[in-house]
Amino acid sequence: MTRWYENIVLDEVFDLGQHTFGQNEIIRFAQAYDPQYFHLDPSLATHSHFGGIVASGWHTAAVGHGKMVDALEAEEAKLRAQGEEPGVSGPSPGGSKIEFPAPVRPGDTIRYALTVYDKRLSNSLPGWGLLFNRITAWNQHGKPVYLSEFVGFSKLRDYRPTLGTRVLLALIKLPLIGGWLKRRA
Amino acid sequence: MTNSVTRDRRHFEDLQVGEVIDLGRTKVSKEMILQFAREFDPLPFHLDEKAAKASLLGGLAASGWQTGALTLRMLVDNFLSKIASAGGLGFTDLKWKAPVMVDDTIGGTAVIAGLRRSESHPQWGIVSIDFDVRNQNQHQVMTLRLANLVDVREIQA
Repeated sequence: MTRWYENIVLDEVFDLGQHTFGQNEIIRFAQAYDPQYFHLDPSLATHSHFGGIVASGWHTAAVGHGKMVDALEAEEAKLRAQGEEPGVSGPSPGGSKIEFPAPVRPGDTIRYALTVYDKRLSNSLPGWGLLFNRITAWNQHGKPVYLSEFVGFSKLRDYRPTLGTRVLLALIKLPLIGGWLKRRA
Repeated sequence: MTNSVTRDRRHFEDLQVGEVIDLGRTKVSKEMILQFAREFDPLPFHLDEKAAKASLLGGLAASGWQTGALTLRMLVDNFLSKIASAGGLGFTDLKWKAPVMVDDTIGGTAVIAGLRRSESHPQWGIVSIDFDVRNQNQHQVMTLRLANLVDVREIQA
C-alpha cells in the first residue's frame, strides 16, 4: 500500500489484520481519553444500556489507524526487499465520517480492512495526490463495528514540475507561505 | 428504568442548542506525542524529529488521532461526564487544519449544534456537538462534529 499514487487501484481490499481488545487496554484508553463510566468501570457499566464496559469508539478508530500504518510499513519493507523504491504517504487533512454501528466489548476480536475509494491530484500541493480511504471493521460474529472515510496525501512518482511550480515549491519551504499553502491543501 | 449512575445528571430535555462548552486546555508534550504515536500512529513524522522536519508537517507533530483523543477527554471532563450520555454514535466533518507541534497547548469550545429525539429508540435523544479546537496562538487546529446519545427523562408515547 505504500505504493505510489499512480499505482493505487480503486476499491482493492487490503486486509489490515485483527486486534483483540482486552479489558485492561479498554480501561487504560478510557482513563487517558474517554473516562465515561461505561468505558471505565466494569461494575458501574452494568447500569448502562451496554450492560458492561465497551471500548471508546475513538479507541476502535485509533487501533484501526495503527493497523493501517503497520500495513503500510510492511508493504514498504517488502518493496525495498524487492529492490523497489516505495511510495511516500503524507499526513491527513481529515475525514468525512467515523461511525460506530455496534459496541466493541472486552475479548472481542476486530478485523480491519482498507479500500481506497477515490483519488485525485492535490489542488494546492504540487507533486502530491489525495487518496480517499475507507476503513471498515467487524467483530468475530461478522457484525460491523466501525466505518471511517478519511483523506491522505500520497506523493506522485511521475511528477515533473513546471518552472512556475518549482518557484512555488521554493515558496513552500518558507515557513509563513508554506504553512498557509499547506492549510489550503 | 432509572440509571442510578446518571439519574442526577442533566438529561436530553435539559440541553439547549447554542450552549457553549469551554473545553479548557491541554499542553501536548513531546513525551505524550511519542507515547501515542508508538501505540497508534508510528509514522516517522510523529516519532522522529529528523524525519518530521523533512516532512510536510515541518517538525515533530502529534498524530491527528491524538488531537482528537485529547479533545474527547476535554469534552468528557467538561460535559459528557455531567450529562446522561449513552455513548457516541460517530463523528462527521473531521478537519485537521494545522498540525499540533511539541509543547503546543490546545483548547477551545464545543457548541451544541443540534438536538433531536431518536426515531427508533424513544429512550434516547441525539446531541450534535461542533468542536472548534485551537492552539495557544488561537490558530484553529481541528474541527469536527460528534453525534452522541443522551437519555431522555420523559419518554414520549
